[in-house]
Amino acid sequence: MRDYRTDYEDCLRRVQKPARYIGNEFGSVHKDKTDDMMSFAFCFPDVYEVGMSHLGMKILYHMLNEREDTVCERVFAPWDDMEKLMRERDIPLLSMESCAPVREFDIVGFTLQYEMSYSNVVNMLDLAGIPLRTRERGAGDPFVCCGGPCAYHAEPLAELVDFFILGEGEEVNGEIMDEYKKWCGSGKSRDDFLMSLVALGGIYVPKFYDVEFSDDNTIKRFEPNRPGVPKQVRKRIILDFDKCYAPEKLIVPFMETVHDRIMLELFRGCIRGCRFCQAGYIYRPVRERSVDRLCGIADGCIKNTGYEEMSLSSLSTSDYRELQELIDRLLGMTVDKRINLSLPSLRVDNFSMELMEKVQKVKKSGLTFAPEAGTQRLRDVINKNVIESDLIRTSRIAFGGGYNRIKLYFMLGLPTETYDDVKGIADLAKKVIDEGFFSIPPEERKGRSVSITVSTSFFVPKPFTPFQWEPQNLISEMEDKARFLKENIRSKKIVYNWHNSDISLLEAVFAKGDRRLSEVLITAHELGCKFDGWTDFFDYEKWLEAFRINNIDPAFYANRRIPYDEILPWDYADIGVPKSYLIKEHKRAYEEKTTPDCREKCGGCGAASFGGGVCFE
Amino acid sequence: MSKRRLVFSKTGMAKYISHLDLLRCFTRSIMRAELPAVYSQGFNPHMKMTFSLPLSVGVTSSCECVDIEFERGVSDGEIMKRLNSALPPDIRIISVRDPNISANDIFGAEYRLTLLCGGAGENAPKAAGEFFALPEVKIIKRTKKKGEREVNLMDFVLGAEAPKVTDEGIELYITLSAGGQKNLKPEIAAEALIKYLTENADIRVTGYNIHRTKILCDINDPKIFK
Ligand code: SF4
Repeated sequence: MRDYRTDYEDCLRRVQKPARYIGNEFGSVHKDKTDDMMSFAFCFPDVYEVGMSHLGMKILYHMLNEREDTVCERVFAPWDDMEKLMRERDIPLLSMESCAPVREFDIVGFTLQYEMSYSNVVNMLDLAGIPLRTRERGAGDPFVCCGGPCAYHAEPLAELVDFFILGEGEEVNGEIMDEYKKWCGSGKSRDDFLMSLVALGGIYVPKFYDVEFSDDNTIKRFEPNRPGVPKQVRKRIILDFDKCYAPEKLIVPFMETVHDRIMLELFRGCIRGCRFCQAGYIYRPVRERSVDRLCGIADGCIKNTGYEEMSLSSLSTSDYRELQELIDRLLGMTVDKRINLSLPSLRVDNFSMELMEKVQKVKKSGLTFAPEAGTQRLRDVINKNVIESDLIRTSRIAFGGGYNRIKLYFMLGLPTETYDDVKGIADLAKKVIDEGFFSIPPEERKGRSVSITVSTSFFVPKPFTPFQWEPQNLISEMEDKARFLKENIRSKKIVYNWHNSDISLLEAVFAKGDRRLSEVLITAHELGCKFDGWTDFFDYEKWLEAFRINNIDPAFYANRRIPYDEILPWDYADIGVPKSYLIKEHKRAYEEKTTPDCREKCGGCGAASFGGGVCFE
Repeated sequence: MSKRRLVFSKTGMAKYISHLDLLRCFTRSIMRAELPAVYSQGFNPHMKMTFSLPLSVGVTSSCECVDIEFERGVSDGEIMKRLNSALPPDIRIISVRDPNISANDIFGAEYRLTLLCGGAGENAPKAAGEFFALPEVKIIKRTKKKGEREVNLMDFVLGAEAPKVTDEGIELYITLSAGGQKNLKPEIAAEALIKYLTENADIRVTGYNIHRTKILCDINDPKIFK
């Protein structure tokens, strides 16, 4: 086998950021692979500094490497400059730790964090020299799998991926390796291995299902095509989150990454049930870690990483029941060591200034709130429990406490939205300034001036949410709304940014698409699409071309209202919340009725069937 | 409080980490090693840490120096032991000592150049000898302050040894001006030499490695800076 090290290293002299490719960081695991060991290539379909910011990757990397019979190595997408050099010199995609070709690994696993990384999955398979379509793979080729939030429904990748892992990987990944060990050398077929995975539960093998389409492009039939394959695959979760594996020896990158800090996961899931939010549904029910366990993890991470910052990362951090106690104890561990503690996702309604003051003892930064919609009516539709008076009260406290910058996040294009709702965003931002800042007597104002940043993204209907049947606004509608909002923001103290509408359309298509999109992805890759999450690479025209070539209308997926009784491409996935509940929530949205959070009153969503978490608190 | 000078090596892939990354790496390693570093005062306190002579990205070294201030009560042996178990494998502390020579006295550095050209290096010693005997070799030098300008490479070459021919190619030691007064990055010298060898001795160089072997100080009475 060719040793690629020297050639690879020579490329590094010629690229912009060689530190992306060097590995050997503190905490990285280097094992001598012997013939009786299994190998897993953990691929993140984006560049190093994005991938290394991701907690899930760190967890599974260290967990797999704790097994003596397994080597897990990391793989990232090479940036354009590096890819060019690699292709010129016939260097295939290599793993970071041992510079081994990815195609030599037993299992190649991608984590799918956002739809816009799918083209990178295709590109990485191609660069690895792995046949793109599952039907083209055979003996000697690795198995390609995907996990992560998008893997609950990734039919658009069905033709390229041998199996999907639905739900949390902490347990099932080990079981997969056990099955592989049994299968390896047994003389059984690749399908036999996949069947053994199906038996584990939580594994979806797309080729074991037949999908038939009607003339109007809707799904006519979606059925298992062999005995022993269930009609629905139920996600896997870790019920006792205290017992759940948490690595304390993290890799500490040399170069700066997007989230370059200790990330403490307080709980999984979210009690809130915002109707647009996929994470709020797929991670149900909420499961918390105890303060003791968290402090233990934090202590280990502080000792083993040397990081100067720790963030509490969960979907809605302030919903952690013992937050006060946790923060007090964490401050006790961090202040002397000059470690900053940051809370990324505070909710307005239970925001406490005292808490904030404590946390900001070490460092003061801007504040971020996400009311998501400009009017109470629309916030009721989406079940976002933010009340205007709370937001204003909180801003007043924050401005009074010396903060002078507040960021507000909103979505445009939400179901039932009118231009009054859009204008509501401008009005709300103005009120935050007028009533939040100017109501403070000048002599009590800490800062001279304040600024508000309003950011909007466009609503993307997502599977497994009550809005999964909703159409997305047309690009022209989205742009009209953004323009209208811009015109309505007149204060110089308010800065307005909005996200690209073309990307939102593609996100909707790939979030809700079916397996016919596999060929679109391959065509788009051939046309040169990659790094679509990066504005410097995203090329909308190329995507349109890829749709045209494959005779597929993106509007069919993004802009069509789907009737309740239509078969959805993701009906095979059982996240624990049945469709009937989503329909009920969808109807309540149109009635502008809110649904209380799990702790206030259980809505009976079905997730209690897992037998743990918030449902049994 | 005491300021200690740590001599360390930077090898393998760590040669690709930048100065800023190296600083961060040391800070975090000291935290992991739980060594009592002294912090600066002020709004944004940071560990008091000064690297003696920056190293180009892509160059390895066995003679880097960094001065770090520690609270009293930690021995040099302890610093070395604890830090070596907290640093990534490609960065190793070689010694810890009193910084008795100022980094301002640095005037030069010795580098080992390895030019890869397979077994085709037999003409190289003669050609390299000719090259270093040239009175003038024009090169482009880029600095932040002065921008791009043309200078004579030979003004920066303090010494060059005759190359040794190996199986991989050729190996030679050169000494270049280094430090605050006058400084040349070794890759510029290496590339000028490679260009000469290609054009005048028909040697095809496929790649090269540079390793810093010594930092020199005290121009009047040269000695190794450490
Ligand atoms: S069953 Fe009730 S408590 Fe449990 S996740 Fe669903 S709504 Fe929340």
